[in-house]
Amino acid sequence: MIDRIAALGRGTLDVLMAIGRAGLFLVQSVFCLPSREGFYLWVRQMHFVGVMSVAIVLVSGLFIGMVLALQGYTILVGFGADEALGQMVALSLVRELAPVVAALLFAGRAGSALTAEIGLMKATEQLTSMEMIGVDPLRRIVAPRLWAGFVSLPILTVIFAVVGIWGGHLVGVDWLGVYNGSYWSNMQDSVDFVGDVLNGMVKSLVFGLVVTWIAVFQGYDLVPTSEGISRATTRTVVYASLAVLGLDFVLTALMFGDFG
Amino acid sequence: MNDPMMVEVKDLHFARGSTEVFRGVDLQIPLGKITAIMGPSGTGKTTLLKLIGGQLTPDRGQVLIGGQDVHKLPRRALFKLRRRMGMLFQSGALFSDLDVFENVAFPLRVHTELPNAMIRDIVLMKLQAVGLRGARHLMPSELSGGMARRVALARAVALDPDLVLYDEPFVGQDPISMGVLVQLIKKVNQALGLTAIVVSHDIKETLSIADYVYIIADGKVMSHGTPRTLDVDEDAHTRQFVHGEPDGPVPFHYPAPDFYDDILAPAGQFS
Repeated sequence: MIDRIAALGRGTLDVLMAIGRAGLFLVQSVFCLPSREGFYLWVRQMHFVGVMSVAIVLVSGLFIGMVLALQGYTILVGFGADEALGQMVALSLVRELAPVVAALLFAGRAGSALTAEIGLMKATEQLTSMEMIGVDPLRRIVAPRLWAGFVSLPILTVIFAVVGIWGGHLVGVDWLGVYNGSYWSNMQDSVDFVGDVLNGMVKSLVFGLVVTWIAVFQGYDLVPTSEGISRATTRTVVYASLAVLGLDFVLTALMFGDFG
Repeated sequence: MNDPMMVEVKDLHFARGSTEVFRGVDLQIPLGKITAIMGPSGTGKTTLLKLIGGQLTPDRGQVLIGGQDVHKLPRRALFKLRRRMGMLFQSGALFSDLDVFENVAFPLRVHTELPNAMIRDIVLMKLQAVGLRGARHLMPSELSGGMARRVALARAVALDPDLVLYDEPFVGQDPISMGVLVQLIKKVNQALGLTAIVVSHDIKETLSIADYVYIIADGKVMSHGTPRTLDVDEDAHTRQFVHGEPDGPVPFHYPAPDFYDDILAPAGQFS
């Protein structure tokens, strides 16, 4: 019994210490002073983290928009409300699906790659050698990746939503014959820039920070063995996905939960 | 040993979990000399280098470099101090996304405002010194272990540091690479007049270049002296290590239950 209590206490302490380390790590990395070289490093990471994720986001956005239109049409047409298809597709994408699915894809594509990259740098002593050369790896390796994730996910989310709306148009208007004018005008009437678009962007900013934070921290804090890298990469995808889904509920409740 | 001290380690205690790695280590590393820290595998030699470089913090004791307590320095000051140090890692630890030239140029680019033409000249000089000027465009993945370590040596001395730490520089090298590295370490030390700490258990090679040697075992300095005095030392630990005797104060077997009992243990009681 005593052993179990001790194990529980040890486990709790380990979790609290990891959270503390992650918090310190975030503060030390985010508040690095920008430099000209830091800007170049950030641009390189924007390419690696952002541009390289565009293809998967384009394809996923297109298919999700198409499926939304197909599913939406089969329900709406029963009520004779098929002209509201554009509104349904746009609101679903802008408020929910674009930020959440883009973040999940981002965690799988870029997050796991960041963890493995930083982890391998740690395992091959590249981070230590950088420290010994007098260069802070938090500043040179972690900060550009953190900022690149923070900036690129909202952009990927916009791309996802735009392509999704176009995919919905392909299926709804070009294939199923919904009137083109009502597809766009209903969307224009119902989607509010601040209430919907900006709220969606706020979500993706939060997801961008959280997913990248988890990815770089898992890479930086892992046990430097092949098994350690494998576990950390898995943890990144699992923790980041759960964090995105959990935070999505919290943010949605804060943004749209006022029914009073 | 009346030279001015570059590095001083005083009463160093360090534990990993419940295992005590160091129990009061005292070292004095003289300026401009090659000091070897030797000892059997697992005695914490690399840990000691990490403590000297400020990557680990001791539980008790001090590491003074040029009079500054490494572990009391704020993060920024510690990084500034490290610019005066170079370290050669066991694996080379070259940056895998940069080619040989850029690896050696890295410290110069981040710590100096030198124009590109001058950085090129310095890098080519350093690569020439380690015999790899012709390999400047190769990526680290295209280098053999010995070549990677020579590139790492060129990078470690790129900023002409005051102190260079060598972590097991001879491990896993073929005789030719080993001979080249031994000569290079000696040559670099003489040419640049820098202070060197070589951590190694390759006795012959290390003793051939070291000016002074510390032997560490059981978390303490077992003996120290010049290579010549250690060769004739009568202390059991020193003799076993320097002459490579398989059994002695450092046992051949890892602690285990009695062999007879272990072999004849009934099924179901296997541990």
